[in-house]
Amino acid sequence: MSELGKKVLEKIKEEKIAPKPRWRFLLKDYFVWLLFLISLIIGAVAFCVSLHILFENDWDLYQYLHRSLAGHILISIPYIWIILLILFISVAYYNFKHTKEGYRHEAYVILGLSVIGSIILGTFLNTLGAGQEVEDVVASSIPIYESLTCCHNRTDIWDQPGNGLLGGKIIKIVDPKVFELKDFHGVLWQVREDDDTLEYEPIRIVPGEEIKVIGEKEQENVFWAREIRPWQNKGLMQKAKMRWDSDD
Amino acid sequence: MLDKNSCPDKTDEELVALALKNQDFFACLVDRYEEKLMRYIMRISAVTREDAEDLLQDIFVKVYRNLNDFDQSLKFSSWVYRIAHNQVISHWRKTSARPKVLKFEADEDFLKFISTDEDLASDTERKFTGEEVREILDKLDDKYREVLVLKFLEGKDYKEISDILHKPLGTVATLINRAKKQFKKIGAGKDLTY
Repeated sequence: MSELGKKVLEKIKEEKIAPKPRWRFLLKDYFVWLLFLISLIIGAVAFCVSLHILFENDWDLYQYLHRSLAGHILISIPYIWIILLILFISVAYYNFKHTKEGYRHEAYVILGLSVIGSIILGTFLNTLGAGQEVEDVVASSIPIYESLTCCHNRTDIWDQPGNGLLGGKIIKIVDPKVFELKDFHGVLWQVREDDDTLEYEPIRIVPGEEIKVIGEKEQENVFWAREIRPWQNKGLMQKAKMRWDSDD
Repeated sequence: MLDKNSCPDKTDEELVALALKNQDFFACLVDRYEEKLMRYIMRISAVTREDAEDLLQDIFVKVYRNLNDFDQSLKFSSWVYRIAHNQVISHWRKTSARPKVLKFEADEDFLKFISTDEDLASDTERKFTGEEVREILDKLDDKYREVLVLKFLEGKDYKEISDILHKPLGTVATLINRAKKQFKKIGAGKDLTY
């Protein structure tokens, strides 16, 4: 045995040094993987909400809002969620790099897979309607959220009947072509449809349904509907629920 | 009881398993890697032999403490070199000392590499003296110097270097190419003094 070997063994024995138990290393590895997965899921949720906002946005409204198309696009981009997406993809990358074999993979491979993972999972979640659910929860728990985003529950945009934009809840069906709508100030409107009126799917003209109407104010509290859109688009789960309700 | 005579017949992995049951077997691993790691430390750092011995002792204690973390999919030597690499870096940080002068015990090895490496042999018009090699190496960036040491002096392949430095294979290849380029560039300069 070499001198160094003797010294090392002496030190080990004198200081009662023992190998750390295997479970501690395994626990650390699992923890890093868990952090990676959590980051990936949060990134996917951020992508899901971004997608929801982009799909939900009324891209053609700029003409009613007296904005340029470019200005409208710039205002409508979900910056907060995109920043969150980038942040959590970076955290996922960092954690993956710190897994036991993470160093073997090139940065672009890990980043690429994290982005693709977030996109696939985020798209799937949005299809289920999670984007809207998450945004609603965030908006109700973080008061500043509404002021930081352009489009979540923007009742003010749909409170311009003079500009052809009216939103609210259907109160009563008067006849097949006329229904009563209560706007966000509680004012009742008679909304008139005709053969040219477009109804965007999935929409149901039934009491309790929240809608957006684009058209023209014809008289005081009478509005002609050129287009009727659902207040919010619905994911697969909400659509299934709607079908279930209508079957009943 | 430790049967010293049986050590040379055992693989590193077998010795790790034995050392976990009986610490005396750890001495076999120390014997096996002592010289190699000492050379490696001296080649990548500017420590004195005494400091290198202290470092080496710390490295082996750390190896022993972390024996259960040894991943059987790696070579044990790569894992030990990785720990040595980390310990040397941590020593640099503690002492805030970048290696200034390399004290190679076998500059001939490096000269041999220069004369046999196709890339360098074709581009380098003259042969370097041992002193010049030392100066060139000392002027190389740390990351380039270490990768050249691992490749040409320690004889590690790309996979092993990747496991030691914790870098992807592609990055290791790039580092080696850049290291060679920097070596040639510095070597081509007439003035090697600071």
